[in-house]
Amino acid sequence: MDSQEKQAAADCESNNDVLEIEDWANFRDDDIMRQHYDIRDQEAEKIPYVGDKEPLSALAAEYHSGSPILLEKIKVLSDQYGFIRRTRGDGNCFFRGFMFAYLEHLLVSQDRNEVDRIKGKVEHCKKTLQSLGYAEFTFEDFFSLFLEQLDSILQGGENSISETELVQRCRDQSVSDYVVMFFRFITSGEIKSRSEFFEPFILGLSSSTVDQFCKASVEPMGEESDHVHITALSDALGVPIRVVYLDRSSCDSGSVSVNHHDFIPASDQHTLDGGSVAINPKITLLYRPGHYDILYLK
Amino acid sequence: MVDFARVQKELHECNKDVQVSGIKVSPVGGDLSHLTGSIPGPTGTPYEGGIFQIDIKLADGYPFDPPKMRFTTKVWHPNISSQSGAICLDILKDQWSPALTLKTALLSIQALLSSPEPGDPQDAVVAQQYLKDHQTFLGTARYWTEAFAKTCGVEEKVKKLVEMGFPESLVRSTLEAVGGDENLALEKLCSG
Repeated sequence: MDSQEKQAAADCESNNDVLEIEDWANFRDDDIMRQHYDIRDQEAEKIPYVGDKEPLSALAAEYHSGSPILLEKIKVLSDQYGFIRRTRGDGNCFFRGFMFAYLEHLLVSQDRNEVDRIKGKVEHCKKTLQSLGYAEFTFEDFFSLFLEQLDSILQGGENSISETELVQRCRDQSVSDYVVMFFRFITSGEIKSRSEFFEPFILGLSSSTVDQFCKASVEPMGEESDHVHITALSDALGVPIRVVYLDRSSCDSGSVSVNHHDFIPASDQHTLDGGSVAINPKITLLYRPGHYDILYLK
Repeated sequence: MVDFARVQKELHECNKDVQVSGIKVSPVGGDLSHLTGSIPGPTGTPYEGGIFQIDIKLADGYPFDPPKMRFTTKVWHPNISSQSGAICLDILKDQWSPALTLKTALLSIQALLSSPEPGDPQDAVVAQQYLKDHQTFLGTARYWTEAFAKTCGVEEKVKKLVEMGFPESLVRSTLEAVGGDENLALEKLCSG
Protein backbone atom coordinates (compact mmCIF):
# COMPACT_ATOMS: atom_id res chain seq x y z
CA MET A 1 0.00 0.00 0.00
CA ASP A 2 1.58 3.29 -0.93
CA SER A 3 1.28 6.32 1.28
CA GLN A 4 -1.51 7.84 -0.79
CA GLU A 5 -3.66 4.76 -0.40
CA LYS A 6 -2.93 4.64 3.31
CA GLN A 7 -4.06 8.21 3.63
CA ALA A 8 -7.22 7.45 1.69
CA ALA A 9 -7.96 4.47 3.91
CA ALA A 10 -7.40 6.52 7.02
CA ASP A 11 -9.72 9.25 5.73
CA CYS A 12 -12.30 6.67 5.01
CA GLU A 13 -12.17 5.25 8.52
CA SER A 14 -12.28 8.59 10.23
CA ASN A 15 -15.18 9.81 8.14
CA ASN A 16 -17.24 6.72 8.08
CA ASP A 17 -18.02 4.57 11.09
CA VAL A 18 -20.13 2.37 8.87
CA LEU A 19 -17.07 0.73 7.37
CA GLU A 20 -15.63 -0.38 10.70
CA ILE A 21 -16.96 -3.89 10.69
CA GLU A 22 -14.72 -6.47 12.26
CA ASP A 23 -16.90 -9.53 12.31
CA TRP A 24 -18.50 -10.21 8.94
CA ALA A 25 -19.51 -13.73 9.96
CA ASN A 26 -22.01 -12.31 12.42
CA PHE A 27 -23.12 -9.50 10.14
CA ARG A 28 -26.85 -10.13 9.81
CA ASP A 29 -29.92 -8.60 8.23
CA ASP A 30 -30.44 -6.25 11.15
CA ASP A 31 -26.91 -4.93 10.79
CA ILE A 32 -27.35 -4.46 7.07
CA MET A 33 -30.55 -2.55 7.71
CA ARG A 34 -28.88 -0.36 10.33
CA GLN A 35 -26.02 0.27 7.94
CA HIS A 36 -28.52 1.12 5.22
CA TYR A 37 -30.24 3.63 7.51
CA ASP A 38 -26.89 5.11 8.54
CA ILE A 39 -25.86 5.69 4.95
CA ARG A 40 -29.26 7.18 4.17
CA ASP A 41 -28.99 9.50 7.17
CA GLN A 42 -25.53 10.58 6.13
CA GLU A 43 -26.77 11.31 2.63
CA ALA A 44 -29.80 13.06 4.06
CA GLU A 45 -27.67 15.62 5.82
CA LYS A 46 -26.34 16.74 2.46
CA ILE A 47 -29.67 17.89 1.06
CA PRO A 48 -32.98 18.69 2.78
CA TYR A 49 -36.19 16.92 1.73
CA VAL A 50 -36.95 20.01 -0.34
CA GLY A 51 -34.15 22.40 -1.31
CA ASP A 52 -34.08 26.12 -2.02
CA LYS A 53 -35.23 27.63 -5.29
CA GLU A 54 -32.16 27.93 -7.49
CA PRO A 55 -31.65 29.47 -10.92
CA LEU A 56 -31.48 26.96 -13.75
CA SER A 57 -27.82 27.86 -14.21
CA ALA A 58 -27.16 25.81 -11.05
CA LEU A 59 -28.33 22.77 -12.98
CA ALA A 60 -26.04 23.57 -15.90
CA ALA A 61 -23.13 23.92 -13.48
CA GLU A 62 -23.59 20.26 -12.49
CA TYR A 63 -22.81 19.19 -16.05
CA HIS A 64 -20.00 21.66 -16.49
CA SER A 65 -17.59 19.10 -17.87
CA GLY A 66 -20.23 16.52 -18.66
CA SER A 67 -22.31 15.47 -21.61
CA PRO A 68 -22.62 18.23 -24.23
CA ILE A 69 -26.09 17.02 -25.17
CA LEU A 70 -27.34 17.58 -21.62
CA LEU A 71 -25.86 21.09 -21.56
CA GLU A 72 -27.54 21.69 -24.89
CA LYS A 73 -30.87 20.51 -23.48
CA ILE A 74 -30.56 22.63 -20.34
CA LYS A 75 -30.09 25.61 -22.64
CA VAL A 76 -33.33 24.71 -24.43
CA LEU A 77 -35.05 24.33 -21.05
CA SER A 78 -33.90 27.75 -19.95
CA ASP A 79 -36.00 29.36 -22.70
CA GLN A 80 -39.10 28.30 -20.79
CA TYR A 81 -37.99 27.54 -17.26
CA GLY A 82 -36.15 29.83 -14.89
CA PHE A 83 -35.70 27.91 -11.66
CA ILE A 84 -35.24 24.48 -10.16
CA ARG A 85 -35.91 23.24 -6.63
CA ARG A 86 -34.14 20.02 -5.75
CA THR A 87 -35.61 17.22 -3.68
CA ARG A 88 -33.76 14.60 -1.66
CA GLY A 89 -32.99 11.42 -3.58
CA ASP A 90 -34.42 9.06 -1.00
CA GLY A 91 -36.89 7.23 -3.23
CA ASN A 92 -39.69 9.58 -2.21
CA CYS A 93 -38.62 12.41 -4.53
CA PHE A 94 -41.62 12.23 -6.85
CA PHE A 95 -44.15 12.40 -4.02
CA ARG A 96 -42.10 15.00 -2.14
CA GLY A 97 -41.70 17.12 -5.27
CA PHE A 98 -45.40 16.89 -6.03
CA MET A 99 -46.28 17.76 -2.43
CA PHE A 100 -44.25 20.93 -2.43
CA ALA A 101 -45.13 22.04 -5.96
CA TYR A 102 -48.85 21.50 -5.39
CA LEU A 103 -49.03 23.17 -1.98
CA GLU A 104 -46.89 26.05 -3.21
CA HIS A 105 -49.20 26.49 -6.19
CA LEU A 106 -52.20 26.72 -3.82
CA LEU A 107 -50.36 29.11 -1.53
CA VAL A 108 -49.52 31.46 -4.39
CA SER A 109 -52.84 31.21 -6.24
CA GLN A 110 -55.08 31.11 -3.12
CA ASP A 111 -57.48 29.12 -5.28
CA ARG A 112 -60.28 28.26 -2.85
CA ASN A 113 -62.23 26.37 -5.51
CA GLU A 114 -59.26 24.08 -6.05
CA VAL A 115 -58.94 23.50 -2.30
CA ASP A 116 -62.63 22.56 -2.12
CA ARG A 117 -62.29 20.34 -5.18
CA ILE A 118 -59.27 18.49 -3.80
CA LYS A 119 -60.99 17.97 -0.44
CA GLY A 120 -63.83 16.27 -2.29
CA LYS A 121 -61.33 14.02 -4.06
CA VAL A 122 -59.61 13.19 -0.76
CA GLU A 123 -62.96 12.22 0.75
CA HIS A 124 -63.59 9.97 -2.24
CA CYS A 125 -60.15 8.35 -1.85
CA LYS A 126 -60.93 7.65 1.79
CA LYS A 127 -64.05 5.73 0.75
CA THR A 128 -62.01 3.85 -1.86
CA LEU A 129 -59.52 2.69 0.78
CA GLN A 130 -62.33 1.67 3.12
CA SER A 131 -64.00 -0.35 0.39
CA LEU A 132 -60.66 -2.02 -0.37
CA GLY A 133 -60.57 -3.21 3.22
CA TYR A 134 -57.94 -0.88 4.73
CA ALA A 135 -58.43 -0.38 8.47
CA GLU A 136 -59.27 3.26 9.03
CA PHE A 137 -56.65 3.77 11.74
CA THR A 138 -53.88 2.86 9.31
CA PHE A 139 -54.56 5.88 7.10
CA GLU A 140 -56.64 8.44 9.02
CA ASP A 141 -53.68 10.26 10.60
CA PHE A 142 -52.05 10.74 7.20
CA PHE A 143 -55.29 12.05 5.69
CA SER A 144 -55.98 14.54 8.48
CA LEU A 145 -52.43 15.86 8.34
CA PHE A 146 -52.78 16.57 4.62
CA LEU A 147 -56.14 18.29 5.14
CA GLU A 148 -54.54 20.42 7.88
CA GLN A 149 -51.92 21.57 5.36
CA LEU A 150 -54.65 22.58 2.91
CA ASP A 151 -56.38 24.66 5.58
CA SER A 152 -53.23 26.46 6.60
CA ILE A 153 -52.41 27.25 2.96
CA LEU A 154 -55.43 29.54 2.60
CA GLN A 155 -54.76 32.96 4.01
CA GLY A 156 -57.02 34.71 6.47
CA GLY A 157 -57.43 31.69 8.72
CA GLU A 158 -55.93 31.41 12.20
CA ASN A 159 -53.24 28.98 11.17
CA SER A 160 -52.35 30.35 7.76
CA ILE A 161 -48.70 30.06 6.81
CA SER A 162 -46.15 31.89 4.69
CA GLU A 163 -43.97 30.50 1.91
CA THR A 164 -41.05 30.22 4.35
CA GLU A 165 -43.20 28.19 6.73
CA LEU A 166 -44.30 25.93 3.90
CA VAL A 167 -40.65 25.22 3.11
CA GLN A 168 -39.97 24.51 6.79
CA ARG A 169 -42.93 22.14 7.03
CA CYS A 170 -41.91 20.23 3.94
CA ARG A 171 -38.44 19.86 5.49
CA ASP A 172 -39.87 18.68 8.80
CA GLN A 173 -40.01 14.89 8.84
CA SER A 174 -43.12 14.78 11.03
CA VAL A 175 -45.07 16.64 8.33
CA SER A 176 -43.20 15.74 5.16
CA ASP A 177 -43.13 11.96 5.61
CA TYR A 178 -46.79 11.92 6.65
CA VAL A 179 -47.82 13.74 3.47
CA VAL A 180 -45.62 11.46 1.33
CA MET A 181 -47.30 8.47 2.95
CA PHE A 182 -50.70 10.08 2.35
CA PHE A 183 -49.90 10.20 -1.39
CA ARG A 184 -48.73 6.59 -1.28
CA PHE A 185 -52.09 5.56 0.18
CA ILE A 186 -53.95 7.56 -2.49
CA THR A 187 -51.81 6.05 -5.26
CA SER A 188 -52.22 2.51 -4.01
CA GLY A 189 -55.98 2.92 -3.60
CA GLU A 190 -56.34 4.27 -7.15
CA ILE A 191 -54.27 1.46 -8.67
CA LYS A 192 -56.15 -1.25 -6.79
CA SER A 193 -59.59 0.18 -7.50
CA ARG A 194 -58.79 0.34 -11.25
CA SER A 195 -56.66 -2.78 -11.36
CA GLU A 196 -57.88 -3.79 -14.82
CA PHE A 197 -56.56 -0.55 -16.28
CA PHE A 198 -53.21 -0.66 -14.45
CA GLU A 199 -52.52 -4.40 -14.71
CA PRO A 200 -50.86 -4.40 -18.17
CA PHE A 201 -48.52 -1.52 -17.19
CA ILE A 202 -47.60 -3.22 -13.95
CA LEU A 203 -46.92 -6.50 -15.73
CA GLY A 204 -44.60 -4.63 -18.05
CA LEU A 205 -42.71 -3.09 -15.13
CA SER A 206 -42.37 -5.86 -12.63
CA SER A 207 -44.26 -9.00 -13.70
CA SER A 208 -46.10 -9.02 -10.40
CA THR A 209 -49.81 -8.84 -9.60
CA VAL A 210 -51.47 -5.50 -8.90
CA ASP A 211 -51.70 -6.28 -5.17
CA GLN A 212 -48.08 -7.40 -4.96
CA PHE A 213 -46.99 -4.27 -6.82
CA CYS A 214 -48.85 -1.98 -4.43
CA LYS A 215 -47.52 -3.84 -1.41
CA ALA A 216 -43.92 -3.89 -2.63
CA SER A 217 -43.50 -0.76 -4.78
CA VAL A 218 -46.12 1.78 -3.73
CA GLU A 219 -46.86 1.51 -0.02
CA PRO A 220 -43.36 1.17 1.50
CA MET A 221 -41.58 4.50 2.01
CA GLY A 222 -38.52 4.98 -0.18
CA GLU A 223 -39.81 2.94 -3.12
CA GLU A 224 -39.24 4.91 -6.30
CA SER A 225 -42.06 6.11 -8.53
CA ASP A 226 -42.67 5.26 -12.14
CA HIS A 227 -45.25 6.37 -14.69
CA VAL A 228 -47.78 4.02 -13.04
CA HIS A 229 -47.51 5.93 -9.75
CA ILE A 230 -47.73 9.31 -11.47
CA THR A 231 -50.74 8.32 -13.58
CA ALA A 232 -52.55 6.95 -10.52
CA LEU A 233 -51.87 9.96 -8.30
CA SER A 234 -52.81 12.43 -11.04
CA ASP A 235 -56.03 10.52 -11.74
CA ALA A 236 -56.98 10.08 -8.09
CA LEU A 237 -56.56 13.74 -7.20
CA GLY A 238 -57.52 15.13 -10.59
CA VAL A 239 -54.31 17.16 -10.78
CA PRO A 240 -52.46 17.37 -14.12
CA ILE A 241 -48.68 16.90 -13.89
CA ARG A 242 -46.03 17.73 -16.49
CA VAL A 243 -42.83 15.73 -16.43
CA VAL A 244 -39.90 17.10 -18.43
CA TYR A 245 -37.28 14.51 -19.34
CA LEU A 246 -33.63 15.40 -19.19
CA ASP A 247 -31.67 12.48 -20.57
CA ARG A 248 -29.09 11.77 -23.23
CA SER A 249 -31.55 10.78 -25.92
CA SER A 250 -31.31 12.83 -29.10
CA CYS A 251 -33.03 12.95 -32.43
CA ASP A 252 -31.35 12.66 -35.80
CA SER A 253 -32.57 15.93 -37.20
CA GLY A 254 -29.72 17.69 -35.46
CA SER A 255 -31.75 20.16 -33.44
CA VAL A 256 -31.94 19.34 -29.75
CA SER A 257 -35.36 19.24 -28.13
CA VAL A 258 -36.49 18.34 -24.65
CA ASN A 259 -39.29 15.81 -24.33
CA HIS A 260 -42.05 16.16 -21.87
CA HIS A 261 -45.15 14.20 -20.99
CA ASP A 262 -48.34 15.59 -19.54
CA PHE A 263 -50.18 13.33 -17.15
CA ILE A 264 -53.78 14.46 -17.61
CA PRO A 265 -56.30 13.06 -15.14
CA ALA A 266 -58.66 10.51 -16.69
CA SER A 267 -61.62 12.71 -15.67
CA ASP A 268 -60.26 15.56 -17.84
CA GLN A 269 -59.48 13.40 -20.85
CA HIS A 270 -62.88 13.87 -22.51
CA THR A 271 -62.53 17.65 -22.36
CA LEU A 272 -59.27 17.21 -24.14
CA ASP A 273 -60.71 14.89 -26.78
CA GLY A 274 -63.57 17.33 -27.33
CA GLY A 275 -60.87 19.77 -28.29
CA SER A 276 -62.21 22.58 -26.13
CA VAL A 277 -59.53 23.84 -23.74
CA ALA A 278 -55.94 22.73 -23.63
CA ILE A 279 -55.01 21.67 -20.13
CA ASN A 280 -51.94 23.34 -18.77
CA PRO A 281 -50.40 21.48 -15.83
CA LYS A 282 -49.50 23.76 -12.94
CA ILE A 283 -47.06 21.21 -11.57
CA THR A 284 -43.86 20.62 -13.52
CA LEU A 285 -41.26 18.11 -12.45
CA LEU A 286 -37.87 17.58 -14.02
CA TYR A 287 -37.00 13.92 -14.47
CA ARG A 288 -33.45 12.75 -14.71
CA PRO A 289 -33.12 8.95 -14.74
CA GLY A 290 -33.94 7.87 -11.20
CA HIS A 291 -34.84 11.29 -9.81
CA TYR A 292 -37.45 14.06 -9.82
CA ASP A 293 -36.92 17.76 -8.99
CA ILE A 294 -39.32 20.71 -9.28
CA LEU A 295 -39.15 23.08 -12.26
CA TYR A 296 -40.48 26.65 -12.40
CA LEU A 297 -41.59 28.58 -15.46
CA LYS A 298 -39.87 31.88 -16.08
CA MET B 1 -41.59 9.27 19.04
CA VAL B 2 -43.65 6.13 18.69
CA ASP B 3 -47.20 7.04 17.70
CA PHE B 4 -48.79 5.60 20.85
CA ALA B 5 -52.31 6.69 19.91
CA ARG B 6 -52.05 4.49 16.86
CA VAL B 7 -50.57 1.57 18.82
CA GLN B 8 -53.50 1.83 21.22
CA LYS B 9 -55.96 1.65 18.29
CA GLU B 10 -54.06 -1.30 16.84
CA LEU B 11 -54.26 -3.25 20.10
CA HIS B 12 -57.96 -2.55 20.35
CA GLU B 13 -58.68 -3.62 16.74
CA CYS B 14 -56.49 -6.70 16.91
CA ASN B 15 -57.88 -8.04 20.16
CA LYS B 16 -61.46 -7.43 19.02
CA ASP B 17 -61.47 -10.42 16.68
CA VAL B 18 -59.03 -12.64 18.54
CA GLN B 19 -61.68 -15.39 18.48
CA VAL B 20 -61.51 -15.45 14.68
CA SER B 21 -57.82 -14.82 13.99
CA GLY B 22 -56.32 -16.35 17.14
CA ILE B 23 -53.83 -13.49 17.04
CA LYS B 24 -53.24 -11.58 20.26
CA VAL B 25 -51.11 -8.55 21.08
CA SER B 26 -50.62 -7.19 24.59
CA PRO B 27 -48.28 -4.70 26.24
CA VAL B 28 -45.34 -5.87 28.33
CA GLY B 29 -45.50 -3.69 31.41
CA GLY B 30 -47.00 -0.22 31.11
CA ASP B 31 -44.98 0.90 28.10
CA LEU B 32 -46.59 0.57 24.67
CA SER B 33 -43.20 0.39 22.94
CA HIS B 34 -42.67 -3.16 24.19
CA LEU B 35 -45.38 -5.70 23.35
CA THR B 36 -45.84 -9.39 23.04
CA GLY B 37 -47.83 -11.15 20.34
CA SER B 38 -49.00 -14.71 20.03
CA ILE B 39 -49.98 -16.69 16.96
CA PRO B 40 -51.43 -20.18 16.67
CA GLY B 41 -49.45 -22.59 14.49
CA PRO B 42 -51.29 -23.05 11.17
CA THR B 43 -53.24 -26.28 10.68
CA GLY B 44 -51.72 -28.86 8.36
CA THR B 45 -48.18 -27.83 9.34
CA PRO B 46 -45.76 -29.24 11.92
CA TYR B 47 -46.57 -26.15 13.99
CA GLU B 48 -50.25 -27.09 14.36
CA GLY B 49 -51.51 -27.04 17.92
CA GLY B 50 -48.70 -24.79 19.16
CA ILE B 51 -49.02 -21.23 20.39
CA PHE B 52 -45.99 -19.12 19.46
CA GLN B 53 -44.94 -16.05 21.41
CA ILE B 54 -43.39 -13.11 19.57
CA ASP B 55 -41.50 -10.32 21.28
CA ILE B 56 -42.34 -6.95 19.69
CA LYS B 57 -40.32 -3.76 20.16
CA LEU B 58 -41.39 -0.51 18.54
CA ALA B 59 -38.64 1.89 17.52
CA ASP B 60 -39.14 5.65 17.77
CA GLY B 61 -40.04 5.92 14.11
CA TYR B 62 -43.03 3.55 14.29
CA PRO B 63 -45.19 3.37 12.16
CA PHE B 64 -42.58 4.56 9.64
CA ASP B 65 -39.95 2.14 10.94
CA PRO B 66 -40.87 -1.54 11.07
CA PRO B 67 -41.65 -3.19 14.41
CA LYS B 68 -38.80 -5.39 15.67
CA MET B 69 -40.20 -8.89 16.03
CA ARG B 70 -38.55 -12.06 17.26
CA PHE B 71 -39.83 -15.46 18.36
CA THR B 72 -39.42 -16.09 22.08
CA THR B 73 -40.91 -19.57 21.66
CA LYS B 74 -38.28 -21.86 20.18
CA VAL B 75 -39.23 -22.88 16.65
CA TRP B 76 -37.65 -25.10 13.98
CA HIS B 77 -38.13 -23.27 10.67
CA PRO B 78 -35.76 -22.31 7.82
CA ASN B 79 -36.57 -18.58 8.06
CA ILE B 80 -36.42 -18.31 11.85
CA SER B 81 -33.23 -18.62 13.87
CA SER B 82 -33.39 -21.69 16.10
CA GLN B 83 -30.97 -19.89 18.41
CA SER B 84 -32.23 -16.31 18.68
CA GLY B 85 -35.75 -16.40 17.22
CA ALA B 86 -34.78 -13.77 14.62
CA ILE B 87 -37.19 -13.74 11.67
CA CYS B 88 -36.26 -13.36 8.01
CA LEU B 89 -39.27 -11.63 6.47
CA ASP B 90 -39.22 -8.74 3.96
CA ILE B 91 -42.06 -6.76 5.53
CA LEU B 92 -40.11 -6.57 8.80
CA LYS B 93 -37.29 -4.97 6.85
CA ASP B 94 -37.29 -2.81 3.72
CA GLN B 95 -40.77 -3.81 2.59
CA TRP B 96 -42.44 -2.49 5.74
CA SER B 97 -45.07 0.20 5.19
CA PRO B 98 -47.14 2.32 7.59
CA ALA B 99 -50.11 0.78 5.74
CA LEU B 100 -49.29 -2.46 7.57
CA THR B 101 -50.11 -3.12 11.22
CA LEU B 102 -48.82 -5.31 14.04
CA LYS B 103 -51.66 -7.69 13.25
CA THR B 104 -50.91 -7.91 9.52
CA ALA B 105 -47.23 -8.44 10.39
CA LEU B 106 -48.16 -11.31 12.75
CA LEU B 107 -50.45 -12.74 10.05
CA SER B 108 -47.52 -12.65 7.63
CA ILE B 109 -45.37 -14.48 10.17
CA GLN B 110 -48.13 -17.07 10.51
CA ALA B 111 -48.17 -17.41 6.70
CA LEU B 112 -44.38 -17.85 6.80
CA LEU B 113 -44.87 -20.82 9.14
CA SER B 114 -47.15 -22.36 6.47
CA SER B 115 -44.82 -21.70 3.57
CA PRO B 116 -41.12 -21.66 4.43
CA GLU B 117 -38.68 -20.16 1.95
CA PRO B 118 -35.54 -22.28 2.32
CA GLY B 119 -33.92 -20.38 -0.56
CA ASP B 120 -33.68 -17.28 1.64
CA PRO B 121 -32.85 -18.83 5.02
CA GLN B 122 -32.33 -17.27 8.42
CA ASP B 123 -31.13 -20.57 9.87
CA ALA B 124 -28.87 -22.38 7.40
CA VAL B 125 -28.88 -25.67 9.34
CA VAL B 126 -32.66 -25.88 9.36
CA ALA B 127 -32.84 -24.86 5.70
CA GLN B 128 -30.37 -27.59 4.70
CA GLN B 129 -32.41 -30.17 6.58
CA TYR B 130 -35.64 -28.85 5.04
CA LEU B 131 -34.22 -29.36 1.55
CA LYS B 132 -32.18 -32.54 1.99
CA ASP B 133 -33.97 -34.54 4.66
CA HIS B 134 -37.53 -33.30 4.70
CA GLN B 135 -38.90 -36.11 6.89
CA THR B 136 -36.41 -35.37 9.66
CA PHE B 137 -37.23 -31.66 9.29
CA LEU B 138 -40.95 -32.36 9.77
CA GLY B 139 -40.22 -34.58 12.76
CA THR B 140 -37.95 -32.05 14.43
CA ALA B 141 -40.34 -29.16 13.76
CA ARG B 142 -43.21 -31.19 15.27
CA TYR B 143 -41.13 -32.17 18.25
CA TRP B 144 -40.12 -28.56 18.91
CA THR B 145 -43.76 -27.53 18.65
CA GLU B 146 -44.70 -30.20 21.19
CA ALA B 147 -41.79 -29.35 23.45
CA PHE B 148 -41.86 -25.57 23.39
CA ALA B 149 -45.13 -24.28 21.94
CA LYS B 150 -47.65 -26.31 23.89
CA THR B 151 -48.75 -25.68 27.41
CA CYS B 152 -48.72 -29.41 28.00
CA GLY B 153 -45.06 -29.91 27.25
CA VAL B 154 -42.81 -32.85 26.63
CA GLU B 155 -41.72 -33.10 30.25
CA GLU B 156 -45.22 -34.06 31.29
CA LYS B 157 -45.39 -36.78 28.65
CA VAL B 158 -41.96 -38.08 29.60
CA LYS B 159 -43.09 -38.24 33.21
CA LYS B 160 -46.26 -40.18 32.29
CA LEU B 161 -44.43 -42.74 30.15
CA VAL B 162 -41.64 -43.18 32.70
CA GLU B 163 -44.31 -43.81 35.30
CA MET B 164 -45.58 -46.63 33.08
CA GLY B 165 -42.20 -48.25 33.54
CA PHE B 166 -40.18 -47.33 30.45
CA PRO B 167 -36.58 -46.08 30.90
CA GLU B 168 -36.35 -42.25 30.62
CA SER B 169 -33.68 -42.13 27.89
CA LEU B 170 -35.70 -44.52 25.70
CA VAL B 171 -38.90 -42.50 26.33
CA ARG B 172 -37.17 -39.29 25.24
CA SER B 173 -35.65 -40.74 22.08
CA THR B 174 -38.95 -42.42 21.14
CA LEU B 175 -40.96 -39.24 21.70
CA GLU B 176 -38.52 -37.32 19.52
CA ALA B 177 -38.66 -39.99 16.80
CA VAL B 178 -42.47 -39.78 16.52
CA GLY B 179 -42.52 -35.99 16.69
CA GLY B 180 -43.75 -35.78 20.28
CA ASP B 181 -47.02 -37.63 19.87
CA GLU B 182 -47.67 -39.35 23.18
CA ASN B 183 -49.89 -42.14 21.81
CA LEU B 184 -47.59 -43.01 18.93
CA ALA B 185 -44.68 -43.12 21.35
CA LEU B 186 -46.56 -45.49 23.65
CA GLU B 187 -47.41 -47.75 20.74
CA LYS B 188 -43.80 -47.84 19.64
CA LEU B 189 -42.50 -48.43 23.14
CA CYS B 190 -44.92 -51.34 23.58
CA SER B 191 -44.14 -52.94 20.22
CA GLY B 192 -40.39 -52.39 20.60
